[in-house]
Amino acid sequence: MKRQLLVYDVTLRDGSHAIQHQLTKNMIVSYARLAESAGIPMIEVGHGNGLGASSLLVGQSLLTDYEMLEAARENLVNTKLGIHVMPGYATIKRDIRKAFEIGVDVIRCGAHCTEADTTERHISYAREKGKQVFGILMMSHMASKEVLVEEAFKMESYGAEAILIMDSAGAFLPQDVTDRIGALVGELSIPVGFHAHNNLGMAIANSVAAVEAGASIVDCSARGFGAGAGNAQIEVLVAVIEKMGYTTGIDLYSLLDASDLAENIFKHPPVIKPINIVSGLAGVFSGFAKHVERIAIEYNVDPRDIFLKLGKLKVIAGQEDVIIEVASELQRGNQKNEK
Amino acid sequence: MKNKQLKIIEKDCDEITSGDIDALEMLRNERVLIIGGTGFIGKWLTELIIFLNDHYNFNTNLSLLSRQSEIIYDQMPHLMKRKDVSLIRQDVRNLLEVPSDVSYVIHAAASPDSRVHSSDPIQTLSVIVNGTHAVLSAISEHLTLKKILYISSGLVYGSQPLDFLYMDEKYRGAPLCNSITSIYAEAKRCAETLCAAYFSQYKIPIVIIRPFAFIGPYQSLDKPWAINNFLRDGISGGPIRILTDGETVRSYMYASDMAFWILRILTEGISGIAYNVGSPYPVTLKNLAEKIAINFKPRPDIRIGTLFADPKYRSRFVPDVSLSKSLNLDIKVNLDDALKRTLASYAR
Repeated sequence: MKRQLLVYDVTLRDGSHAIQHQLTKNMIVSYARLAESAGIPMIEVGHGNGLGASSLLVGQSLLTDYEMLEAARENLVNTKLGIHVMPGYATIKRDIRKAFEIGVDVIRCGAHCTEADTTERHISYAREKGKQVFGILMMSHMASKEVLVEEAFKMESYGAEAILIMDSAGAFLPQDVTDRIGALVGELSIPVGFHAHNNLGMAIANSVAAVEAGASIVDCSARGFGAGAGNAQIEVLVAVIEKMGYTTGIDLYSLLDASDLAENIFKHPPVIKPINIVSGLAGVFSGFAKHVERIAIEYNVDPRDIFLKLGKLKVIAGQEDVIIEVASELQRGNQKNEK
Repeated sequence: MKNKQLKIIEKDCDEITSGDIDALEMLRNERVLIIGGTGFIGKWLTELIIFLNDHYNFNTNLSLLSRQSEIIYDQMPHLMKRKDVSLIRQDVRNLLEVPSDVSYVIHAAASPDSRVHSSDPIQTLSVIVNGTHAVLSAISEHLTLKKILYISSGLVYGSQPLDFLYMDEKYRGAPLCNSITSIYAEAKRCAETLCAAYFSQYKIPIVIIRPFAFIGPYQSLDKPWAINNFLRDGISGGPIRILTDGETVRSYMYASDMAFWILRILTEGISGIAYNVGSPYPVTLKNLAEKIAINFKPRPDIRIGTLFADPKYRSRFVPDVSLSKSLNLDIKVNLDDALKRTLASYAR
């Protein structure tokens, strides 16, 4: 008998990147109801960069975190409500405590893939409050499988009940995923999961590779709504993994109907633009795409050059200010060449 | 007026020593130094010793050495006015000598919190290995020393095979020495080897214990361990969440049994020997959750395998305590009573 997989829906969080964090209450309410009716076990809601991240640096969300969470909470019964939390953006006192009061069920605590120790207090706090807690290692293409295992061990010791690695830049090929997920599944004593991005068109293939390597959790979103080229498309992924013989507990017909409606709600389904391909090749966080496009126009430079330079600098989420530095440098270089 | 927790502890100490006082006579009129005395084990050893003083006029002088010794007053304010308990504020790694009249030493300095081991592995190693070296060096020329007891860990055996029902002291398993998950266990192994070296070279009367899992008043509920989480889930109204299929096996010794066993092994244990200390009675996490749940009204739900109930996540951690039982030690408080008393101690 094949395993049951946990399908985790990030439409209302990662999808927020795709619309400059302008999720409306109507979008959240409508999609939460669709997710509930389709039997999706967990959905994540909030600013694209997670709880407490709304800011000039990474983009201000239309609604407050709590308006978003309350809107979702009121429309969920069996589907669990999750949040993405990154220490540095979200604090326990200001943000997490209040999110728990609203009724968040699952907290996923993320950190750059080599900085798991920043999550100790947040993960511990959530466990102390009896919440389900997952540890997330982001930008996981920037670390070897050995380093990922070390960092995952730390999160496990803090109390994480599962570990996911994020291909935040959409940089992986299936073999990269197989190697990393295989190593984590072999070493950890808790479930492992994978979060794909589609910059190189590999989101479904990489998610399948993760499942075959032993992953028990797969992230995905309606129509693939997510940062950059988007995430693994939930309706495709559920169909594929059920065809492979795994069970998800999701009603496929309801899910397919929900995804049609989701497209009406969000309007702009992600496509793989040339800029996303370059972003994936450069290994830069998918959430940078909108900022890079905007700043490239402002500085009259090629956004692809910006991405390649950012890749060389190994920037990570939270370093959006570097985009301007790079654009400015490229502009100066171009002006020099013209002279 | 004593609070509820202190009354429970006093009753526990009365029960554990009842009929067995003679076995602890060697501590009468002696000075005992507990290094790392502010942790769970140190607190219970302190409670048992002051009970002996208060009820049996043992006149045992107790010193608690710790980096932040004053914090013990936060949880044990009743110690503040006692003349038989003194505090020594010191980092164990800087220990050069022990008070001249100390005759028994219990070395317990180390954090058992796995979160600390992962986040600060170098400090964890340093406190255990360098701290033990400093202690052994300081007492190697301490002429009045009658015995030192080193508190190691049941984790020195590495993972217990599922079909190996009880871990005995001769088991030769080991943790992976090059893994971040082994920091605490490997440090304890090194510290045990240091003890063996000092026992061999300086003939220091040293006995080792390897603790397994305990429960009782003073147990902090914020640790990410199954029983702590179940108790906390129950107290907060549930549900009690079991992460896997509930067939993982543990055993839990009540704190008063633990403290009594440690003092007995201190006084009567054979130098150079390591003794397992823990309960030999296994319980699955599913059964444990059920035992905890019946203490609450309304009875909280138990959710098994809320994430994934894959048998591959099962583990086992149960000691063979035949060696300790050879000192006429036994379990006096069963798990059901241990849970009841622990929960009662948290009630306000």
